[in-house]
Amino acid sequence: MVLEMIRSGGTPGLLIVLFCLTMVGSTTGVFAHDIPNDITIQVYVKPEGQRLKLLVRVPLNAMRDMSFPLLGPGYLDLAQADAELRNAAILWIGDEIKLFEDGVRLPNPNVVAVRASIPSDPSFRRYEDALSHIIGPRLPDRTQLFWQQALLDVLFEIPIQSDQADYMIDPGLERLGLRVVTVLRFLPPGKDECVYEYVGSPGTVPLDPHWYQAALRFSALGFTHILDGFDHLLFLLCLVIPFRQIRALIAVVTAFTVAHSITLIASAFELAPDTLWFPPLVETLIAASIVYMALENIIGAQLHRRWLITFGFGLIHGFGFSFALRETLQFGGTHLLTSLLAFNVGVELGQILVLLLLIPALALLYRFGVRERMATITLSVLVAHTGWHWMTNRAAVLSQYDMVWPTLDLSLLLSATGWLLLIMALAGLSWWALGMRRQVKSAD
Amino acid sequence: MKWKHHVFAGTLLFLFVAACGENTGTQGTTGEIPEGAVMAPMFEVDPMWPKPLPNHWVLGSAIGVSVDSQDHIWIIHRGNGNARTELGAAQDPPTGECCLPAPNIIEYDQEGNLLHSWGGPGDGYDWPTSNHGIGVDPMDNLWIGGNGGNDAHILVFAQDGTFLKQFGKPGARRAPRFDEENPSYVGNSKDTENFGRVAKISFDAAANEAYIADGYLNKRVAVIDIETGEFKRYWGAYGNEPDDANLGRYNPDEPLVKQFRTPVHAAEPSNDGFVYVCDRPNNRIQVFQKDGTYVMEKVIAKNTLGDGSTWDIAFSKDAEQKFLYLADGKNMKVYVILRETMEILTSFGDGGRQPGQFFAVHSIATDSKGNIYTTETYEGKRVQKFVYKGLGPVKDKDQGVVWPVATN
Repeated sequence: MVLEMIRSGGTPGLLIVLFCLTMVGSTTGVFAHDIPNDITIQVYVKPEGQRLKLLVRVPLNAMRDMSFPLLGPGYLDLAQADAELRNAAILWIGDEIKLFEDGVRLPNPNVVAVRASIPSDPSFRRYEDALSHIIGPRLPDRTQLFWQQALLDVLFEIPIQSDQADYMIDPGLERLGLRVVTVLRFLPPGKDECVYEYVGSPGTVPLDPHWYQAALRFSALGFTHILDGFDHLLFLLCLVIPFRQIRALIAVVTAFTVAHSITLIASAFELAPDTLWFPPLVETLIAASIVYMALENIIGAQLHRRWLITFGFGLIHGFGFSFALRETLQFGGTHLLTSLLAFNVGVELGQILVLLLLIPALALLYRFGVRERMATITLSVLVAHTGWHWMTNRAAVLSQYDMVWPTLDLSLLLSATGWLLLIMALAGLSWWALGMRRQVKSAD
Repeated sequence: MKWKHHVFAGTLLFLFVAACGENTGTQGTTGEIPEGAVMAPMFEVDPMWPKPLPNHWVLGSAIGVSVDSQDHIWIIHRGNGNARTELGAAQDPPTGECCLPAPNIIEYDQEGNLLHSWGGPGDGYDWPTSNHGIGVDPMDNLWIGGNGGNDAHILVFAQDGTFLKQFGKPGARRAPRFDEENPSYVGNSKDTENFGRVAKISFDAAANEAYIADGYLNKRVAVIDIETGEFKRYWGAYGNEPDDANLGRYNPDEPLVKQFRTPVHAAEPSNDGFVYVCDRPNNRIQVFQKDGTYVMEKVIAKNTLGDGSTWDIAFSKDAEQKFLYLADGKNMKVYVILRETMEILTSFGDGGRQPGQFFAVHSIATDSKGNIYTTETYEGKRVQKFVYKGLGPVKDKDQGVVWPVATN
């Protein structure tokens, strides 16, 4: 009948029909268009026998472009809402989450049950409560729940081969809001719960990684981090410019590696200050280290002592690396030390790659007749210029923080003791190393 | 062979240091706590919260604060800036570039960013002549009272400002021979359809009930159904049938009276089945069971006259709600009270206009992390955040201004 109307009425008829359809559509529901600013998602992943259960709680107003049936001033029509809640669950969650079992992509999750919940509902504090809540009776139909304030709870299931397999997830829910915080809990059978909290999307992550998975992931992270870190690369360039022999460079690069490993690991074990001003201070000092090294190259570096100053700056760069690890270290699961060491290995591999490219490039430069001293000065001046701007910009940020001297009391002394002992241990190691070096030199 | 000496000495030093290091880990960083020290939640004011409002907006008397399930902070204020000195831009014609009254209801996030703002008169509801208090119910809807002369009702809005419900009617408390020139009102604490200038609304999610501190004209706690507004029960001081007779001025040397004095300023239910009521000019908190059975009372700052000492209550965020925080807008402080015994452990704040000081601290709320938010009325006109720093030994009964210190 509609088609006949359109055929007989032509374009005006079509427009009238479309207008009517629009008016009808607008009275039965509401389309959510705005992207919510800030949302929190809660997820439980639990493999059990031949099925994997996935429980997800998201704010309903993150389910955009859905037509939820409403009553009165905007209450969700709970008696009629199930179908659209399921559609929202599939469209915005089920189609986005990717799960892998032993590296093989699992089929899209099936929606088993959906529930609209009131905002203060506490069920998702525990897995068992969340499950009973979703499969239990829905809210009474007379509940006056304003739709934009409702929570959508979904139970998905996926068929799996074994609940003992290795699982990975790519949550893919970062589009639900401008800033999306997710708390994900993985409950492997017979093991402790793994909890992850992240902003946006971490990409594909193993849910309970083996040590080698953690090692691989963090090596790759370290490798890409050093290649993305222009300040670290510039520092490396400064180190390398005056050297013509690989052998002499080894001591310097090794000193840098050892030093940043120490502070990176110390940070991961929460030995670093957690004050607000600490990261900007480290960033400023990193830039200052670049300026220093470049100036030393210009003036004329004492190359036989360079490893010592590099060690000192390496300690600072290690803190800088640790800021990158803060959010991602959780994805190493229980393998904290392995992840840290692997990250270091990745950083070293990245450094080696950079050096393998830099040194031949410099050698090529000199071969084409550029005088070494002139090249050193020119390159160092360029680096110093960049480093100087970074340093002043970062110092300006640092100056906005209010640094107050801590009260000199027993608790301060106790917290300083740990660092004092570490410094003494390092001093002992250095003294030993110096002695060995002198011995080797005198033998030569 | 000098290098052997180096090796030997270096190894010795390292071992010595490692051995010492074994013991330092156990001493921790908290320092010595005196034996038998009383522990209480500690706070520091956050002078950077909230962030400045845009649009040359200023707050009026800030008369309520509440935190929703997303840890967003809602305040209500009156927009009652001084036309001559504060609201120049709002005059017709404007007398200056600044300022304008901010919308009555403001939502902040945890970082202090302004998220939403709305409020004021609209279609379909009677905005109070003097709005008072804001409560967030289990549905995250916002409930507003009013203590203006004509106010005898409560409004309910969704978070986007959509009007949802009104319970009670304005004007219900008008005296039988009401004269517009000389308006007069009469309390009726037994009215089961209207209120008498509501001060605050709090909620018991499990029972689906709202507790109304009723209020500035009536002298009762009223309990209604959250959805329908149906009156379930009400009571006066000591669980007595409420009585609206005029009790005269509070006198600290006289025995405590058997009825509330107005305003009954807060009625806050706890998780374990009690209700804490601020009987403000009587300087006391009375504790009841949820059915109105009287349990005990605690007098705070007995000699306080005028506005009284017990303004508003919030609980600590642990499951046991071990501590109770009391805002005292006359003595310009917040008390930290051990709920089990109602013993005052410590207090913080002082009169003044700097962060951490108060001018008529009126309302108080806590978020899921245990941080405290306060609003100040009269000329205070602001909201403040006090960051929870964990439990610490009480060193002073009155800490004064809890200014932030560097943390390690």
